[in-house]
Amino acid sequence: MKTILLVEDDKNQLLLYKQELSLEGYSIITAHDGMEAVKQIKEELPDLIVMDINMPKMNGIESIGRILAEHKKIPIIINTAYSSYKDDFMSWSADAYIIKSSDLTELKDKIKELIGKV
Amino acid sequence: MLPHILKDKVGNSLNIIVNALDAGFAVLDKDLNIIWANERLPVMFNLEYDPVGKICRDVYKCECNDNKTCSVLQVLSSGKKQFSETQLITERGERRYIQNITTPVKDEKNNITHLLKLSINVTAQEEKIHQLSLLRKLAELMEGTLQIDRLLHLILTCVTAGTALGFNRARLFLVDKERDIVYGKMAVGPSSMEDANRIWSEIVKKYEKLEDLIKASEDNYRDDTPLHMITRLMAYSLSDVREIVVACIKEKRSILEKNAFSNPDINKNFVNMIDAREFVCVPLVVKDEAIGVICADNYYSQKPIMEEHVQLLSTFANHAALAIENAEAYKKLGEKVVQLKETQERLIRSERLAVIGNMAAYIAHEIRNPLVTIGGFARTILRASNQGEQIRHGAGIIVEEVSRLEKILANIMDFSKPVESVKVSSPINEILENTCSLMEPYFKNGRIKLARKFNAMIPKIVIDPTQIKQVFLNLMKNAVESMPGGGTLTIETVVEDGHVIIKITDTGEGMTAEIMQNIFVPFFTTKVDGTGVGLAVSQKIVDDHGGFIKVKSSLQEGTTFSIYLPI
Repeated sequence: MKTILLVEDDKNQLLLYKQELSLEGYSIITAHDGMEAVKQIKEELPDLIVMDINMPKMNGIESIGRILAEHKKIPIIINTAYSSYKDDFMSWSADAYIIKSSDLTELKDKIKELIGKV
Repeated sequence: MLPHILKDKVGNSLNIIVNALDAGFAVLDKDLNIIWANERLPVMFNLEYDPVGKICRDVYKCECNDNKTCSVLQVLSSGKKQFSETQLITERGERRYIQNITTPVKDEKNNITHLLKLSINVTAQEEKIHQLSLLRKLAELMEGTLQIDRLLHLILTCVTAGTALGFNRARLFLVDKERDIVYGKMAVGPSSMEDANRIWSEIVKKYEKLEDLIKASEDNYRDDTPLHMITRLMAYSLSDVREIVVACIKEKRSILEKNAFSNPDINKNFVNMIDAREFVCVPLVVKDEAIGVICADNYYSQKPIMEEHVQLLSTFANHAALAIENAEAYKKLGEKVVQLKETQERLIRSERLAVIGNMAAYIAHEIRNPLVTIGGFARTILRASNQGEQIRHGAGIIVEEVSRLEKILANIMDFSKPVESVKVSSPINEILENTCSLMEPYFKNGRIKLARKFNAMIPKIVIDPTQIKQVFLNLMKNAVESMPGGGTLTIETVVEDGHVIIKITDTGEGMTAEIMQNIFVPFFTTKVDGTGVGLAVSQKIVDDHGGFIKVKSSLQEGTTFSIYLPI
């Protein structure tokens, strides 16, 4: 079973993604901010990371930088309400940039494309 | 026949002297009857009859008959000589200023027996003084006039006002430095002999009141007189120094041309248009630079132009030039104020857009996050097979409404996100063509006809093609939406005054003036599901390109949006 690390500070949204992606057959681990995500990865390396950007303590962009410094190959999807981070070159190092929507089809398709089903 | 008082003393030789005097000379008795006059007196007063035997005041046309004002009576009562001045109009209608000296003639017992009245014609000197005072008044009037066309007309009126400078016709030429030419700006003067006579008789009546004359001529000012229209057609290159008007500017001096038609040293283009043998050109000089020329002639009266007229006109022209300079400066100031206001308005608008944009971005993001959660869970519920129909129906509505909200938010965020444009030289027609094909699905299966009127000669302009395409899309969508029952969408491209203009015209419902006023205000919309950012964004984009949008609309007929982009 493929493991996905969900990094999201909004707990209801986190619940939604967790529920939806579990239904797709992935194993889900979670983090509430960038700092926690960096820590989590040291314990368990996921197959893919879905990363929010605007979070307390450490934002997604910085967190991506730290994670990629150690694990160059790990696929990362940026999932954010802002389209403006597209202009931040750090976001280019992510494998995909998805603007949050209540319709999760795009996110699910992207995950499937990057790591395949289960 | 010399009266005895003169004959007794000096004899006949005095007769010759008295008649040779350039002065009127008369002998009066104590009842103020003229008993003798020299030959000059009737000439000076334009008399058709012999003054001898007439009462003094009838000949001298003074309007006094009591002791206080009549100088002759004063001589009689005081026994001393008296000076007096009279202003009169002779029987031939000529104006005269006369200075008189009345001296008593006394017998041995010191009784006054006769009076001698010597009269000197000072009309010429008086007129000169009058002219100078008029000149001063004119200068004052001119300095108070800041509206340029009024001022120019005032100047020309003064040049032709009978008493001041008194030319028959006057034309004003101005230098256009950019085009390197001098061109006819305005002309004042009668266009026929009858016209001239009528005006002159009016001027004589209003001799004293220059202000009235100017006021009247201003009220009667017409710019469709033949003289004015001919003058407006005149223009000469500043390199044509053989044209008198150009020479006048180059040399910054007055030129009095006495024999224009036969002068071999000058070009005839200007002369033929002036159509007068004799005329004068004086330059309007400000800060050592000629800004124009006044050209005046006596076309109708054929009165020769004397050097002193030229002098007077030059003096006047100096005042006029200063006044023109003043008015020009004032006009420029006015233009700058307008410019400043426009800049200020643009600043306020972009400031307002920025504030609204920031606020919108903040709210949009704050709302988007919970919407994702709400909509996401609603979708989960909708998909779950074990739910009742009512719950599924409710969840369906939530999903739909959330989608709608998300769409609106996406629009607003497009508006508020800072756009960094990438400008490249682009062919407008091609972008339009491209946009039209994107729009095809909206054309409702042919119910909306598309008419392309592209000008193939349009140069490439430096724009951000993506942004400009967005503008075209917004405007075309609006146009299509204003024609629910079908119609014609016309896309036209034009080049004009340094701009490429793209006109998007529909044959739709049109807008009321009230709506027109608000269409560019962010979040203003008349559509049920509109966000009101389309036109605001379009305007901002065009603004960022240094262009502007003009709108024309009439109800039931349609609307035209014209996008002006600088070349």
